[in-house]
Amino acid sequence: MPPKKSTKALSPEPVPASGSRRGSSASPDKPPGPLSIVVTPEERDVIKVNNASVTDLKNACDDALKRYLSRPNLFKQIHLHTDVRLALGWAGVIVAGATGLYGWKVDFEQSKPGVWAGFILYVILTTLQTLYAYFVEGDIIFVGRRKTFSKRIITERVTISSRTIPVSSSSSQPSPANAPSYSLNITYLQSTSGGKSLLAKNRAQGSMEYSAFFDEKGLMVQELFERWIGELVEGAMEGKGA
Amino acid sequence: MFSEELKTLRRLGFRHLLLQILNFASVIASGLMLWKGLGLFFNTESPIVVVLSGSMEPAFYRGDLLFLSNPPNERYHTGDITVYKIPGAEIPIVHRVLETHDILVSNATAKSRKDPFAKYLPGPNQLLLTKGDNNHVDDIELYQGLDFLERRHIIGKVRGFLPYIGYVTIAMNDFPQLKYAALGGLGLLALIQRE
Repeated sequence: MPPKKSTKALSPEPVPASGSRRGSSASPDKPPGPLSIVVTPEERDVIKVNNASVTDLKNACDDALKRYLSRPNLFKQIHLHTDVRLALGWAGVIVAGATGLYGWKVDFEQSKPGVWAGFILYVILTTLQTLYAYFVEGDIIFVGRRKTFSKRIITERVTISSRTIPVSSSSSQPSPANAPSYSLNITYLQSTSGGKSLLAKNRAQGSMEYSAFFDEKGLMVQELFERWIGELVEGAMEGKGA
Repeated sequence: MFSEELKTLRRLGFRHLLLQILNFASVIASGLMLWKGLGLFFNTESPIVVVLSGSMEPAFYRGDLLFLSNPPNERYHTGDITVYKIPGAEIPIVHRVLETHDILVSNATAKSRKDPFAKYLPGPNQLLLTKGDNNHVDDIELYQGLDFLERRHIIGKVRGFLPYIGYVTIAMNDFPQLKYAALGGLGLLALIQRE
């Protein structure tokens, strides 16, 4: 049964009866891309954000991207960066709380060595957290992994980082064409036999104005956004950007 | 009123909730550590205090913020303004030093072999008498039986001040609802906003 399509036009390639495979000229054991797994309208929540805040717009796009790519049969999100940040942050908070409690309970002169230890530990944890967020995590918003079992076990790993390209200040007329843009950098790695043999390593890049995805009330046109993301990711999977 | 935010939170998941709570908790933690760090660097239990009474007028008025430090090996001189706390009294007092007495107590440490005067280190061995500028009598009655203050009662020496800022603290203490309202507002803001 052919999958249900949403409002946009169908892709020119014929969709095979099995439904979840793309009918292209690629080899039959190609893993499915995000466009081929369709979102039904009932699954959608309405997303409404504050149009004037670029941070809100970026966050809404990031969240929509994460939701779109972590659907079943697609990538599974790896939360390593988030978990490291949570661990370091909460460790720092607990150290700070313990040090504060200790300094409150014990006399000042006697508590000094303990409070010094706690303070230095807190500074180290906070510095580590900042360095990790700046150097290791950077702009990355999504790291996903997928294993598909066709003829051989193919492991895919996709890393997506996003940023906002601001409007150049030469013309300050607010208009849909003159809006800040959402820019994505996608890195795609495909390998087999436990990561030992590399099948593909591609990079893709794309950017689009926020005004293409959000109307004047701030409602997000999710189909458009998801189609754009799906095309970018499938382009990376095929190696067009390389 | 919060249904939009609650829906967003539920959609974004548990990790996101932990991150938002971490935002709030880390603001509190960094404030606390800043306070403790200042106390460590200036060797004082309370590096910033608020003047509560008018006993030091016209130098300090009620509501002034004072910055303290307590260098351990420096002598305190007559005329220094100190903040001290008598054990048994809850509130620290800001008054000026009127008299100092140095007790030369033998301090048998290895250092004393190289430096014959090391055992007479003035820091921990000083007795002080204080009086508020705006009071008629000195502080003997406040000492709860002691004749002099010892260095271990002193929280620190005043190094600088800012006028009027302390009224915020006074208001928070007199109206505790303000404190809870401020904390609650901060918490709400941190939970709802994102980075």
